[in-house]
Amino acid sequence: MADFEALKEQWSEIEDRDGVRLSWNTFPSSRMEASRLVVPIGALYTPLKEKTDTPLLQYEPVSCKPPCRAVLNPFCQVDMRARLWICPFCLQRNQLPPHYKDISQEQIPPELHPNSTTIEYRLARPAPSPPIFLFVVDTCQEEDSLKALKDSIIMSLSLLPPYALVGLITFGTMTQVHELGYTDISKSYVFRGSKEYTSKQVQEMLGLSHAGPRPGIQPQPGRPAVAPAGASARFLLPVSQCEFQLTNVLEQLQRDPWAVANDKRPLRCTGVALGVAAGLLETQFVNMGSRIMLFAGGPCTEGPGMVVGPELREPIRSHHDIDRDNIKYYKKALKFYDGLAKRVSHNGHIVDIFAGCLDQVGLLEMKGLANSTGGHMILTDSFTSSMYKQSFARVFNKDADDNLLMGFNASLEVLTTKELKVTGLIGHAVSLNKKSSSVGETECGIGNTCSWKMCGIDPEASYGIYFEIASQGGGPTQLQPGQNKGMMQFLTYYQHSAGQYHLRVTTVARNLSGPSGDPAIAQSFDQEAAAVLMSRIAVYKAETDDGPDVLRWVDRMLIRLCSRFAEYRKDDHSSFRLEKNFSLYPQFMFHLRRSQFLQVFNNSPDETAFYRHVLFHEDVSNSLIMIQPTLDSYGFDHEGSQPVLLDSTSIQDETVLLLDTFFHILIFHGQTMAEWRKAGYQDQEGYENFRALLEAPKEDARDLIQDRFPLPRFIVCDAGGSQARFLLSKLNPSTTHTSSSYGGVSQTSQTIFTDDVSLQTFMEHLMKLAVSGTN
Amino acid sequence: PLMPGLGAAQPVPGQDNLAGQFGQMNLNAQQPVYSQPGYQQPGYQQPGYQQPGIQAQPQAPHAATHMNQLLPSDLIQQPFNVLELDQPPPAINLPANSSATPSPFANCPPQYIRSTLNTIPTTHSLLKKSRLPYALVIQPYGALRDNEESVPVVSDQVISRCRRCRAYINPFVTFLDHGHRWRCNMCNLTNDVPQAFDWDAAAQKSVDRWERAELNHSVVEFVAPQEYMVRPPQPLVYLFLFDVSYAAVTSGLLATSARCILESLDRIPNVDRRTRLGFMAVDSSLHYFSIKPDESENNDVSCLVVSDIDDEPFLPQPSDLLVNLSECRANIEAFLEKLQSMFQDTPNTSSAMGSALRAGHKLIAPVGGKITVLTASLPNVGTGKLEMREDKKLLGTSGESKLLQTASSFYKSFAVECSKNQVSIDMFLFSSQYQDVATLSNLPRFTGGQTWFYPGWSAARPEDAVKFAREFSDYLSAEIGLEAVLRVRATTGLRMNAFYGNFFNRSSDLCAFPAFPRDQAYVVEVAIDETIGKPFVCLQAAVLHTTCNGQRRIRVMTLAIPTTESLANVYASADAQAITAYFSHKAVERAFGSSLDAARDALQSKVIEILQTYRKELAGGGSGALSLPQNLRALPVLFLGLIKNVGLRKSAQIPSDLRAAALCLLSTLPLPLMMQYIYPRFYSLHDMPDAAGVPDPATGDVVLPPSCNLSSERIVPYGLYLIDDGVNQFLWIGRDAVPALLLDVFGVEDRTLIKQGKTTMPVIDNDFNERVRAIIEKSKDHRHKGVGSIVYPALYIVREDGDPSLKLWAQTLLVEDRADQGVSLQQWMGMLREKVVQ
Ligand SMILES: [Zn+2]
Ligand SMILES: [Zn+2]
Repeated sequence: MADFEALKEQWSEIEDRDGVRLSWNTFPSSRMEASRLVVPIGALYTPLKEKTDTPLLQYEPVSCKPPCRAVLNPFCQVDMRARLWICPFCLQRNQLPPHYKDISQEQIPPELHPNSTTIEYRLARPAPSPPIFLFVVDTCQEEDSLKALKDSIIMSLSLLPPYALVGLITFGTMTQVHELGYTDISKSYVFRGSKEYTSKQVQEMLGLSHAGPRPGIQPQPGRPAVAPAGASARFLLPVSQCEFQLTNVLEQLQRDPWAVANDKRPLRCTGVALGVAAGLLETQFVNMGSRIMLFAGGPCTEGPGMVVGPELREPIRSHHDIDRDNIKYYKKALKFYDGLAKRVSHNGHIVDIFAGCLDQVGLLEMKGLANSTGGHMILTDSFTSSMYKQSFARVFNKDADDNLLMGFNASLEVLTTKELKVTGLIGHAVSLNKKSSSVGETECGIGNTCSWKMCGIDPEASYGIYFEIASQGGGPTQLQPGQNKGMMQFLTYYQHSAGQYHLRVTTVARNLSGPSGDPAIAQSFDQEAAAVLMSRIAVYKAETDDGPDVLRWVDRMLIRLCSRFAEYRKDDHSSFRLEKNFSLYPQFMFHLRRSQFLQVFNNSPDETAFYRHVLFHEDVSNSLIMIQPTLDSYGFDHEGSQPVLLDSTSIQDETVLLLDTFFHILIFHGQTMAEWRKAGYQDQEGYENFRALLEAPKEDARDLIQDRFPLPRFIVCDAGGSQARFLLSKLNPSTTHTSSSYGGVSQTSQTIFTDDVSLQTFMEHLMKLAVSGTN
Repeated sequence: PLMPGLGAAQPVPGQDNLAGQFGQMNLNAQQPVYSQPGYQQPGYQQPGYQQPGIQAQPQAPHAATHMNQLLPSDLIQQPFNVLELDQPPPAINLPANSSATPSPFANCPPQYIRSTLNTIPTTHSLLKKSRLPYALVIQPYGALRDNEESVPVVSDQVISRCRRCRAYINPFVTFLDHGHRWRCNMCNLTNDVPQAFDWDAAAQKSVDRWERAELNHSVVEFVAPQEYMVRPPQPLVYLFLFDVSYAAVTSGLLATSARCILESLDRIPNVDRRTRLGFMAVDSSLHYFSIKPDESENNDVSCLVVSDIDDEPFLPQPSDLLVNLSECRANIEAFLEKLQSMFQDTPNTSSAMGSALRAGHKLIAPVGGKITVLTASLPNVGTGKLEMREDKKLLGTSGESKLLQTASSFYKSFAVECSKNQVSIDMFLFSSQYQDVATLSNLPRFTGGQTWFYPGWSAARPEDAVKFAREFSDYLSAEIGLEAVLRVRATTGLRMNAFYGNFFNRSSDLCAFPAFPRDQAYVVEVAIDETIGKPFVCLQAAVLHTTCNGQRRIRVMTLAIPTTESLANVYASADAQAITAYFSHKAVERAFGSSLDAARDALQSKVIEILQTYRKELAGGGSGALSLPQNLRALPVLFLGLIKNVGLRKSAQIPSDLRAAALCLLSTLPLPLMMQYIYPRFYSLHDMPDAAGVPDPATGDVVLPPSCNLSSERIVPYGLYLIDDGVNQFLWIGRDAVPALLLDVFGVEDRTLIKQGKTTMPVIDNDFNERVRAIIEKSKDHRHKGVGSIVYPALYIVREDGDPSLKLWAQTLLVEDRADQGVSLQQWMGMLREKVVQ
């Protein structure tokens, strides 16, 4: 086969340039061929991946005639003389606009440069409003937690551009909208916590409806014809204008004053607060970039969206409860939040959920809000934790130009050449229900559209986009010379935080396979991208279907893939061989099966919602860490870290391990290491190397944490310590209490008490099934 | 002196004495027309005339029983003289030794209770035959504050009551069994005398029971022990509901109210430092204000707006909305400073006052207290929203009566709910447009509150601002009672049949007052169920209440009245003013419940009926004269005044709000003020005696000029007059008033330069200006009339040749004149004579 490492290098370069990883880098040219690939053609695309190497174009893009609207790109044929270009997507000829008159071979515009497969335009269209940040703060909290939360929000004001609009809603037993534009005294509008308010009611109650005078009002002579001041003047004001007032209100903010009996949970009307927040923004900010930032200190216990009753003896639902379908509030709450999510995403507003609670807050029910709007979801034990504080601060990260690294109101449109059809997207978006000739017949994820909306988008946000091969024709249709490529173009419009709309264009072209059986297809398999894309499908299915079916699906797909692409003699599993670019894939699937994404019962429903949310946001490499954590070993016998198998055999007395699950970063001291450390050798002269050994993983952990969002939980533990369970749960149980200790496994390794099958067993089964030919 | 400010006890005026007095009055009333165009002519001598003032009911418990004489009087031949209104009611002549002690204070003075009949028939049939009503006009308080009246307090918590009828021991019980037992003067049951009556256990010494206040005084106040409380005495609570809609803000109502409360904080009763205040503002939303204790860390006031007004009200937070005045004083002050301008830019023209009231009720219901509403708007959104229903075309027609009926059932039912939770509502109404006073007044009516109406009020007019600020401040300083009930007991055979006034009639004989005001009177109609065999009966009114200082007390008033089997005796002791007060309440009831026509017709029929009965039964029937006994001579005039009062007068010019407000006054005013309201005071100033307008050397009180009958015949073109109905004052300048007079009084010689309308008297450094001002002030002062009142009448300057509408308005107070659709006194008497004699 071709040089695998060279291919990997190439894919990595493309990923750097375009933010795209494809499961298959050669496209099959027939539908039948495609169906035999098992893993669909898919792209994991990071539209706003930070790019510093290409210029930001300050002019409008040149687009093909409607309905195509493809944007001029390096794959277009340009007739310099005639100033014509041929659209590779629809094959129409287009005139270049007059200002391209000086175009020549020597002088080509940047968008036609071969390296400009991804290019960004700053459009003339300005954003309709500065970005809006509406803080929705839970006041049913312990004093210290509330204080920390208030401090963090006050701190965030200094991170916002001065022109950004901010607003404050607080809630507990009731919901309060603070009128920041009113400075005489602190003034807020109170909504009862038990009632669902329509958008119209919210607007009326805030005095923002612009309806005419109500009937029955006596005409007031001399009454000024002043319309009620809009929300922008009262509730959402530029930071520069209301920072003092907002800081003051936050500082004065008290715990929810209503008494809570010992056997009760505080009444917390999260649903009403979110509904009011949505209603407030609906007044005059539809399609204007806004973040509703919810800070929840506990579950909603009152009114619409309630996830648990106020009685403490009534526990909050678990996966088992949901499984058994015996919970009172779940479906109603889900319906409420999903309805709200639909509204909010329709309006182009983002909902971020920051949970600071040891118990669950109802993320499971609320997840639709963040998932469909591209909001963040941060699950922490408390607002006092550094995990919360640092993660929250990172939301406001800025680029080199001091612009917030976040985009608003994005739409992602996919164009394809006719062999390819898009079947769907899996990620934090909603369908824009746009039909085009690029829309496929089948549906994978959010389908039946070629365009999606991301109310919130950031440079890390990655989307799984899936394709099929067009059904018409049995093979490549008559192509023009040099056109035997399948192409896709991603057009991402978004409101840049600097205030203009931008368009990011990524054009992807890949060879179409030759006649049936072309080995180029197999060689073009990117197992990492494929694993991540398949994981997204599996989790998407798990969200909509039931767990066991999904596991069976994962297994079936894996077996089929191996049957198709492995080398073996039928029914002889010992002959089973996988090419290098397939070899890791079964492991990824093994770990995916064991991961918290599909094995939910060890986690709370909120944790599941959180983990899945993060998975749908990250790129290939981060997703892989989540699926199959990395494990590094530190010992005296080698310099620095050494990657080791994610296997119980890697636990050794004289090593320190560094585990990165993306969500957790764990340093594990082997038994001897732990004993020495407890004895304090690291502080003694002559043991500098030991001290260095202890320090090295810490430094590496710091590096890992550096850019991670959300900030991972950092755990330091020792062999035998209770915290070590985090490590053990991730390791391949090659040495379980059921396995023999004579299996060539080191006597010193850790025994894991689990009924899970080990990777070795898993592979044995896989090979047997793959070669059996029954698939 | 019997009572502070009242005349000394006098010997019982005999018949001759009285007649003589009348004769003298009539003589004096024939005031010589002052023919000189000048005024203050040196040498002008007022004939030796004595202002009668208010006289106490002389007490003569030990005198032999005798009856008031029936003194017939011809109403046509001897026309009514205004000074007759200043006469005390007919004497109550009790048999000798009726009371247990020889105290001159044993029987209830008329200031507290006036009976329509000071000698009552022994049978129902005689009462029926008399055609006179039997009712008590009860005015439990004579002043807004304790230090302005003196009622003995029994503070040892020894309260002896009849076991059967629960009457309080009083001067008219009889002691039996060597003083060990007392016989109840109501039900005749004998009761044990408590040991403490003779022995002070605490001081370990004997006491003289005959010194006890409740045996010497008909009006006493008992400090009540624990068992008189359903719950511990509640603190005084004021919840202010401010209208903050466009109308209220632009009229300056909000700013003035807030400033006035701010300046009155020291006047609000708070001796026990438990007084609590709450503040809410209302437009289309409810605005709650959260005020923290002064020493708390975050002590900024915050405003919580609730716009969700359609469902059951809710409170936005559990605390800090109703706060302790002493603990939050500084923050309350800071808040009231800010409140004045807080809503200055509002465009909101809605008022959800009904919803605000419900919310306010929810806020204070656990404690009870006052809700003080200050509004300039018709509640037009939310609960109990009202329509602008007035139509000028309806005024003066039969359709007008509908406007006086309650437009929404919410107000009465809510008021009853408030009463149950010890919440009282006072309405201060300021709209320049229709505000539906008739409907809104239900709130005070059933909760022991009051409706105060300031039509067209504007803070931009200093007179308006000053009047309201002064009244509101007095209002805030009044020592109202809390959680009060009024019960009237009487000698067996008598039964309390109907109650009139602002309260909720909780059971057949119990009137409930969440707050007990000190400026209102009540009328109780008494039925005679059984033949009364006793020479006199007793009636006892008791007001159980919590003082605003947290003490449970009972104010007890006991009135003894002789009985008779003779109709003549009944007539000879009938009290024209009390009778008028009774019929005033009846008329108001008819006006609100049925129609104005019905109310007026009933009054007219009643006076005819009384005249006919007297003529037929007591005057021999044959004569062609229209006559009544001396003591009832004022009755036809007072009825005319009532019929011509703005509340009842037939007219197409009176907005229904004005009418409704007047009707509220007619059903609540203490008797002296009610009399003035239906028959205003009228003083001639240009020719007033030298003694008038200066303090009386003996008492220090400013002497008022003699009153005149309310007839334009009294007005000379060059004269200067003051007409005062207790609510408004009109200073009337004759069209030929001489420049010298004008210069002295107004500082200008040219009449046309004098500011007409609502105004303030200019202060000019001369004797006459000073005297006029002193008279105007004295006339405004209700305290010297023996009543509590916050009303500070507005002064209007009226030029006879000036603004015609103003002049017409002033003239409507001239009750004896023919005006608008009302008859003159002469026509009235002629009509009565026609109906009675033929
Ligand atoms: Zn095209
Ligand atoms: Zn008795």
